Order: sequence, then structure tokens, then C-alpha cells
Amino acid sequence: MKLIQRKQRTVGWRATTLLGAAVIGLSLALAQAQPPAKSGGSKKPEPKKVRHDLTGEELYQINCNRCHSERYPTEFTAAQWQTIMLEMRVRANLPAEQSRKILEYLQQDSGN
Amino acid sequence: MGVALPPRATAAVTDEDFNALKNQVQQLNSTVQGLQQEHQQDQQTIQQLRDQLGQTQTLATNAVQKAEAAQAQATPGPSARHNFTMAGDAEVQFSKAAGQHGGFALADFAPIFLYRANDNILFEAGFDTSLDSGGNTTFSMSFGQLDYVWNDYVTVVAGDMLLPLGTYNIRSAGWLTKIPDAPLVDDQILPGSGVGAQLRGGIPIGDTGQMLTYSVYGVNGPGAGDSTTGDAFQSTNSPSVGSPNLDLGGNLTSPNEHPDPSGGGRVGWFYPWKPHYDVELGISGQSGEWGYVGNHLWSAAVLDAAVHISPYFEAKGEYANTWYGTDASGTIHPHGWWVQASYKLAGLNLELPVVNDLELVGRYDRLNDGLGTKTDRYTAGLVYYFTDTLWFESDYEYLSSHGPNAMPPNEVIAQISYGF
Repeated sequence: MKLIQRKQRTVGWRATTLLGAAVIGLSLALAQAQPPAKSGGSKKPEPKKVRHDLTGEELYQINCNRCHSERYPTEFTAAQWQTIMLEMRVRANLPAEQSRKILEYLQQDSGN
Repeated sequence: MGVALPPRATAAVTDEDFNALKNQVQQLNSTVQGLQQEHQQDQQTIQQLRDQLGQTQTLATNAVQKAEAAQAQATPGPSARHNFTMAGDAEVQFSKAAGQHGGFALADFAPIFLYRANDNILFEAGFDTSLDSGGNTTFSMSFGQLDYVWNDYVTVVAGDMLLPLGTYNIRSAGWLTKIPDAPLVDDQILPGSGVGAQLRGGIPIGDTGQMLTYSVYGVNGPGAGDSTTGDAFQSTNSPSVGSPNLDLGGNLTSPNEHPDPSGGGRVGWFYPWKPHYDVELGISGQSGEWGYVGNHLWSAAVLDAAVHISPYFEAKGEYANTWYGTDASGTIHPHGWWVQASYKLAGLNLELPVVNDLELVGRYDRLNDGLGTKTDRYTAGLVYYFTDTLWFESDYEYLSSHGPNAMPPNEVIAQISYGF
């Protein structure tokens, strides 16, 4: 019985440690966010965001970097990028237009 | 009555002046006649040029029409830009489990062969090559599928496909996962691939990168490990198989072991509010017969989620619930979940060379195999980035595992991963 209780305490301690580590990690990430600028107590209306079509580079950062590290355009030829992007389009379920823009971005500075 | 008349004009012109004026008039007259002749000639020339211009325009119009007609008649066939590319990853590993000797191993060399026939057709096959303890080389195909991009919204996939039950199986290359060992639920109670056909695609929402994704598929479904016993209960101790006889990686050939195939799919929602800041949610499932008789179902339901806050922080996880019927033991209910978080220390802006290239990672696993074994696994590790594609990974796993299929209590793993 004591052994079981000790194991339960050990598991509980580790769960607490893990939860604490997760909270610390989340705190570090949130610390990267910029706090809202104070303006003498009076709130200014936030400027309207300028809407624009996302570029191939922006779409690359949004879609590709969430699963793997950055791959540089010069790593592959234009033809290889077309093959790789076809695979990534299927695997990541990328919409057609976004996939085309990312491919154009990668092919602009592709290797020879 | 009298009328007043104006005084009569009178002019005195000498004969000399009159003759001079007469000569001038005659010269002007001859000049005008010359100009009239030139004008007539010019008119004729202009008319000729107009005629020639009309003929030229007619010829040009005919040429354009013929060119357009020829272009229209040309067959818009494949671009014939074939290409063969190899991608993949490789890992060399050192591991030491409790109660076992530590050792090095070529954990995996996993090339993915990509053959693009044209803009819409791709064949991809992934292989796993490794050395076993006897020095023998094992070579197996982890997936092999034909992809046909039907249109902007539908891609047809067929073959031995990676199955979208959660996201780990599809994004599990060794240099992507940050922790060498797979989550317990993905390793033990969910199939990684299946033979069949699939429709999948993405539908953009707005212009911010938001999208809905979907996958719908049919596969042979799980097999039975022992053909002599059918789907009858028989105890085993294989930790890679979640239950007696159930073979999640089998039944890959024709004819199917059971009468009907299984069906499944996933729906996902991806919302980025700016680059490196996004959330993804997904729900997926599969259901169908297993075993030789086909009188029992194997089913799975999976929830997955992932969030990125800055380029440095990532958290993700899955919850998987599976159940299947047996003759002897009724319904068996393997289930579990995991959550993983990681943070790149470059986000601290310490500008320290080694620290900047480190990432801390942790994961918690829980698995109930439905056969009396319950496992909690705590993993803490780090990743050191030599480059973006060459990593050193190391982690310590502590397990609290109880039951007939209990796992070793702890393990240390160090691994070099390379993505290519």
C-alpha cells in the first residue's frame, strides 16, 4: 500500500512539474508579445489594418514554418521546387492559389 | 427731282504696266495648271497607297485569324516536365533503456522518392531503411501513393496512403518531431497508413490564409495478426499491437481479409492571424470491419490541436479514442492522449551562440491499451540546431507503466537527425 501511495505521489509530483514547465514556456512565449501602447489614459482608436493579398513569402511563413524549419530557395532547382510543392500541396491540403504563390516565391531565387 | 450720283472713278494705267500685269497673270495661270497636274498625280498615288494598305490589312487580318485558329486547334496537353526528386530524413541514435545496455544504431534512413509526371500528377513513396541487431538491413515501404490534382479543390490519392487520423502520422518525419519517440497513441493504437483511395483538399476562407481542409478515404481496414484464430481473443505481449490479433499495419493486399472496407476522414480548420501566429483544430475518425469474419468493427475518433505563438513557441496534442469488438472479451477500448510544447531560446534575445540554437521540448503521454495496461510517460528534452536541417536531439523519458504489457520505466535517447 505504501509503495502504491509513494508511486501516486511521484506521479502527482511529476505532473505538477510538467504543468509548471508548460506554464513557464507559455509565459516566455507570451512575453514576446508587445504590450499595447499607453496614450495618457485616453484610448485612441486602433488604425485600420491595411488589407492586401498575402505574398508568396508570407504564405510560406504561415504554412510551411509551422511544420518544419525554413528551407532556402537556393536548395533546389525550379523544377525540383515544383515537385516538392506538389507533394506539400497534397500533404498539407494547401489551397491551390496559396500553393502557386509559394511556388513562385521559391522559384524566383531557386538554385541552378 | 434730282438724284445725286457718285463721282465717276477714273484710273490711268499705262500700256507698260498693263503688259507686265498680263504677263504675271499668264505665269500664275501656268503655275496653277502645273499644280493641278501634280495634285492629280498625288491623288492617284494616294489611291494606290490606299489600295496597297487595304491589301496589307487584309493579309494581316487573315494571318492573325489563321494563327488564332492554329492555336485553338493545338491540344493543351501535359507540359511533359517530368522531374524526379528525393527528399526525406536520416537519423543516427543512441538509446539506453532501464535494464538494458545502451547502444548506437542507424535508427533510420528514410528517403522519399518523388516522381512528377506533369503539373498535376505525382507519385511519392517513402521507405525506411535501418539495421537490426543482427546486422541485417531492413527495408520497408512506409507509404507509396499516387496523387492526382483533379482541380483547385480536390486531389485524388490512391495507394498505401498516410492516414489523416490526427496530424502526427502525416507530419512525423524524424527531423520534424523534436522528440525521437512517437506519441504512444500514434505508435500503438492508431494505424499510420492504409491501402485504399482518398479525396482531399483545402478551401481558403478570406484572404488572410485561413482555410478549411478535408480528407475522405476508404481503406482495407485493420487486419488480424493470426489467420488461424480469426478475430478470437488470444493474449499476446506485443506492445506494438494494441490488442490480441488486431494488426493495424496489416491487411495491405487483395483480397481484403474481411467482406467490406473501412471508411474515414478528417476535417480541419486553420486560422493564422499573422505569420508564425496560428491555431489549427481537427477532428478525424475511421470505422470498419476487422478480422476474418467481419462481424466486429474497429473504430477510432481523434481530436487534434496545434498553436503557434511567435516563431519560438509551439504547442500541440491529440486525443484518440478507439474501440473494437472481439468474440471472447467483448468491446476493447484503447484510448489515450498527448500534449507537447516547445520553445526556442532564440526568443529570449540573449544573443548567445549556443543558447540561440537550442530549443526545449516536453511531452506528456497517457495510454490505456484496453487490456489492463496503463502508461503515463513524461518526456523532457532539447534540440540543438547545427543548421535548419541538421539537429541534435536528446531527451529523457520517465514512464509509469502498469499491467501485463508494461513498458520499461525510463529511457534516454540521443539522436542526430538530418532532413534533406
